[in-house]
Amino acid sequence: MGLLELFRPKNAPRRAEARRAQLFDDDFQKKLESLSIVSRRVFAGRMRAERRSKKKGSGVEFADHRDYAPGDDFRSVDWSVYQRFGKLLVRLYEEEEDLSIYFIVDSSSSMTFGDGKKFDQARRLAAALAYVGLANLDRVTIVGATDSVISRMPTTRGKGRIFKVFEFLSELAPGGTTDLGDAMKMFVAQHKRRGLAVLISDLYDPAGFERGINTLRFNKFEPFVLHVVDQKEARPELKGDVRLYDCETGEEREVTVTDSLLDDMARAFDDYQKSIERFCTSRQVPYFAADVGIPFDELVLRVFRRGGFLR
Amino acid sequence: MGFAGLPLGTLLGIFGAAAALVAVFYILKLRRRAVPVPFSRIWDSVLRDKQATELFSKLRRVLSLLLQLALLALMVLALGDPKPKEDLRVGRHLVLLVDASASMKAVDVKPNRLAQAKAEATKIVRSMGASDRAIVVQMGSVPTPRSSMSADQTELLQAIAQVTASDTRADLEAGLSFGRDSLRGLPHGELVVIGDGAYGDASHLSELSQRVNLEGAEPRFVPIGKSGKNLSISEFSVRRYPLDKSRYEVMLEVANLNDTPADVELELSGDGVVVDVTRLKLGPNERLPRYYQDLAGASRTLTARIKAAPGSDDLPADDVAYALLPERRRARILLVTAGNTYLEATLLLDEYLDVAQIAPGAPLPEGKFDVAIFDGVAPPPSERIAAALYLNPPADGSPVPLGAALEDFGFDTWERKSPVLRFMSMGDIQVAKGHAFKPINGDKVLGASDHGAILVGGARAGHRFVALGFDPRDSDLVLRIAWPLFVLNTINAFVEEDTGYVSSFRTGDVWHIAVPGSLSTVTLLEPGGAKHAVPVSDGRAVFRGELAGFYKLSGGADDAPLGEFAANLSDLDESRIAPQKELVLAGKKASAVSVAQVSLRSEVWIYLLLAVIGISLIEWVTYHRRVTV
Repeated sequence: MGLLELFRPKNAPRRAEARRAQLFDDDFQKKLESLSIVSRRVFAGRMRAERRSKKKGSGVEFADHRDYAPGDDFRSVDWSVYQRFGKLLVRLYEEEEDLSIYFIVDSSSSMTFGDGKKFDQARRLAAALAYVGLANLDRVTIVGATDSVISRMPTTRGKGRIFKVFEFLSELAPGGTTDLGDAMKMFVAQHKRRGLAVLISDLYDPAGFERGINTLRFNKFEPFVLHVVDQKEARPELKGDVRLYDCETGEEREVTVTDSLLDDMARAFDDYQKSIERFCTSRQVPYFAADVGIPFDELVLRVFRRGGFLR
Repeated sequence: MGFAGLPLGTLLGIFGAAAALVAVFYILKLRRRAVPVPFSRIWDSVLRDKQATELFSKLRRVLSLLLQLALLALMVLALGDPKPKEDLRVGRHLVLLVDASASMKAVDVKPNRLAQAKAEATKIVRSMGASDRAIVVQMGSVPTPRSSMSADQTELLQAIAQVTASDTRADLEAGLSFGRDSLRGLPHGELVVIGDGAYGDASHLSELSQRVNLEGAEPRFVPIGKSGKNLSISEFSVRRYPLDKSRYEVMLEVANLNDTPADVELELSGDGVVVDVTRLKLGPNERLPRYYQDLAGASRTLTARIKAAPGSDDLPADDVAYALLPERRRARILLVTAGNTYLEATLLLDEYLDVAQIAPGAPLPEGKFDVAIFDGVAPPPSERIAAALYLNPPADGSPVPLGAALEDFGFDTWERKSPVLRFMSMGDIQVAKGHAFKPINGDKVLGASDHGAILVGGARAGHRFVALGFDPRDSDLVLRIAWPLFVLNTINAFVEEDTGYVSSFRTGDVWHIAVPGSLSTVTLLEPGGAKHAVPVSDGRAVFRGELAGFYKLSGGADDAPLGEFAANLSDLDESRIAPQKELVLAGKKASAVSVAQVSLRSEVWIYLLLAVIGISLIEWVTYHRRVTV
């Protein structure tokens, strides 16, 4: 036991435990179980342990042809095509492999703004989706990101590891500024195995939310954007002369808040949300706005129904 | 425009200091509340759109400061009391002498002269300039200020409303003296007499005009009234017969002050019941006395009233006169003597005396006594004895210290007006022996020889006394008619039933009303119903009455009735109500009050403050509606 241990409040671990218990309590776990069953019914027949990967390889299911190149295995030459067309074509088969799902949880200060509902919602979403992934024997990895990857839960699989997920998410400490571009660069550098990258964030990135998503796209990850939204931020309860400061960057603005300004603010907030959605849609990136005001189980179900998250 | 209040330099100083304070508060106000936001970029996009209005926003903030400074400037300006140049001239100081004498009750103008005088005074006050000041004085038998020297129109108008007419004559000289004293040291003083000008005959006014010194004040006169027809009761008196006090006689005088003959109906009432009605015919300016002799009865209050043909009498106030006849009651006399035939015989003369005689040293009989006569003795004073006559008191117990012993002396001087010595000539009385008195403070020497006082009156502990310095039997006084007169006069003086009883007082005079007992204050009920606490000095209540009618005195622990008396105008000069169109004062004709030279009042500061309130209200409303923030 180190010297610092002597001064650490004895009830600190108990508080963390209590927090964890509150965030992922029995009710939550029961909900996860039922969601898992629901998700299986929704995606019946498709949800299997094995996933068809886009990699062509040694699977049993035909995928495509390509021209023969010297060095190719003769056994893969499609002789019937040669007989009909006189061309040497090689048969390609889909390679079967388990899917890697990465949950990137935004842990910047803006996620805890106000009463911290956004961060809690993000963690609950991550836990729920991770549970579904684990139940489907996918490889699940969770990372916390701000302007870098600040923490990482090692890749795991199997439903029984869900408590490890809970523990990791519970101990994820928010703080710092958001820079999804840099954070995603670090993420892709750390994770060579490509897969589904679920970005759970409020996307309040001063450098632009596009950079982070593009980084994932350009590095062959399949990004899935879960945009955590708190409508209270659209129309804050402000009036009169105030000095606004960014909770992450500390930048200040002197503003005289009027009703018309608040209306403009609500519109700008809406525009910002729509610009994210437009960006994702135009790039075929699945996007989902997770409003903290919507009950959690309803929200998760919507995510499943939205499709694209699980194939 | 100039400043009547604080000078410009001071105002600038105040504005500078206050403006600096406002600026500091303004800067402090600009330190805004810090509020965190999750993502300032969204705010940036909003504020970028607002860039166009930024200039207006800044301007609005500057406007807010300028507005505050403007409010401050208005308030500071109000402190300066800005006025037009013409209002800044040195103002007049007016003394408004409003005649409130009996003649102002005349109804030759509607509703009466006083109401018109008050209307004229109101006009003058309303036309006063901003820098003019005035004082309202009610001019009756004594001048009574009704306001202070003020520029406040409200105060002055209230003071005018308080002026009421009395039943007295107006003392113009006293009013002018008061006005002159009020104006002493003040610039542009004007003495404005608002009245009928009936202040005595021409010679009296001429003499007054020469005598009065206005010390530079300008005399002004506002004449009131248009005719002077009047019939009056100028005298009314009643008295008991000296030798038969159960009977009395009445004298009254009716005056026709018009230049035409008049028929008058004279009515005499006793205790409200008409006892006599007489028709009289009076020639022009005739004064007709009437006597009612040998009257008897139980009446106490007497009222005389005249009625004349309409149009011949404009002043009803002097058509009624009042008199009061005191109740005749038996006076209780205590005679303390070893035996004095002269004294006992004298007391037998008045059948209304209830005499109890005791020897010196004997105990006092039951009850109270109005008068005690101590013959050669001076026992200790008693609360049961209201007044005492001491004849040759010994040194021990004498109310007045004894002086030298005298022999062969007489009265060399005596108070002829004293009720004790009424109808008496004391010059030839011879006294064989006696003592001189050494009067102390408050004692009055009623008679004295060359060697000292021998007859002294006064009061001890509220009890009146008369002391004679010799035994009457050692003189020839007892052989003279003066002896019973002296004893009975003294008793009458003590019990207030002397034949010189004043049946009514004259309004406007200072009255000295006899008060029985040893009270220091009594309550006086006026004919109008008003009550006054009146001090008693030397056994008499002192009061200046201004209303004609019956007055009632009460006092003591249970406010018991002490007596009643009457008061009348009885002033022929005041009954001459012919109005004067002009008045000469201090050798100068009093001119009319010029209203045209008076500028209108302009209280700019009120409007400045109203503007401040208005702007503040607008600012308050717009601030809370978030229009200006």
